[in-house]
Amino acid sequence: MSIIRKIFSDLHVSNFYRITGSKLLPVRVGYSTASSTSSQPGDDLPAENLGNPYQREKRCCVLCKYGVEVDYKNARLLSQFLSPFTGKVYERNITGLCKAKQRSVEREIIKSQNAGYLAVMLKKVEYIRDPKLCDPNRPIRPHRY
Amino acid sequence: MPLYELSLTLRTLSRPELIASLKRSAETILQQGGVLRQFVSLGTNPLPFKMKAHNVWHREGTYFVMKFDAPSSAIENLNDEFKRDIDLIRSHVVRCEEPVKHECTLEEEMKPPAYRKDVQQLIEEGRKVIRHKFKQNTPGFDFYPFQK
Repeated sequence: MSIIRKIFSDLHVSNFYRITGSKLLPVRVGYSTASSTSSQPGDDLPAENLGNPYQREKRCCVLCKYGVEVDYKNARLLSQFLSPFTGKVYERNITGLCKAKQRSVEREIIKSQNAGYLAVMLKKVEYIRDPKLCDPNRPIRPHRY
Repeated sequence: MPLYELSLTLRTLSRPELIASLKRSAETILQQGGVLRQFVSLGTNPLPFKMKAHNVWHREGTYFVMKFDAPSSAIENLNDEFKRDIDLIRSHVVRCEEPVKHECTLEEEMKPPAYRKDVQQLIEEGRKVIRHKFKQNTPGFDFYPFQK
């Protein structure tokens, strides 16, 4: 009986209250004591400005990513967007460029051909081994038609 | 930023002849009221395709770039002058512009058509009901133009 009394003596309501200074603050079961000293009413609510953690990185085209300025004198760079067999400019689905950059590449290619820097009917032999920026067999999007 | 850029392709010449030809080209720019800003040589290279200039086929050429400021009315005259120069295979005057900084819109373009902004705009335009208003075929006079 005495044992039971000893056990139950600890389970008095007062044990659930902690004395800090002059006030008796309620101790929440399951929470650490350290955080509840400075608890505000909305402290344990979820943070609002987290954003979507599963959002994928924004895709950027090759030229925009490296800030490359397309120039009509740079025939080597321009020929990376041409077919090595026909010398024709690849469409946007193959090159993977954004609209603005694709348009500027097309315009610069015409300028370059007119000024005599870039070959028209084919791709220069020295440029064939250049790193491939676009693969016609693996377009980033299906064909327009 | 210079206003115009001239890319010259000169035929294979000996050094003193090349200098004379370039001087001539530069002087035509100055004559037309232009100011030369920069002079760059891009070397003597084989041309990307054989070019005919003044009844002669060329397979090799010397590339030069001249940057200059000139009045817009002068460009037509310049092109005329360069056409007549025998030493020039090709001449190409381009207007220099500051590169416009823009964000890459690839992400937007890769979305399925229903989610793309420009496609959505098209759909909106299609939904608009166009009420055709009858256009009277009058010149808009407030008097009767013919003799009654």
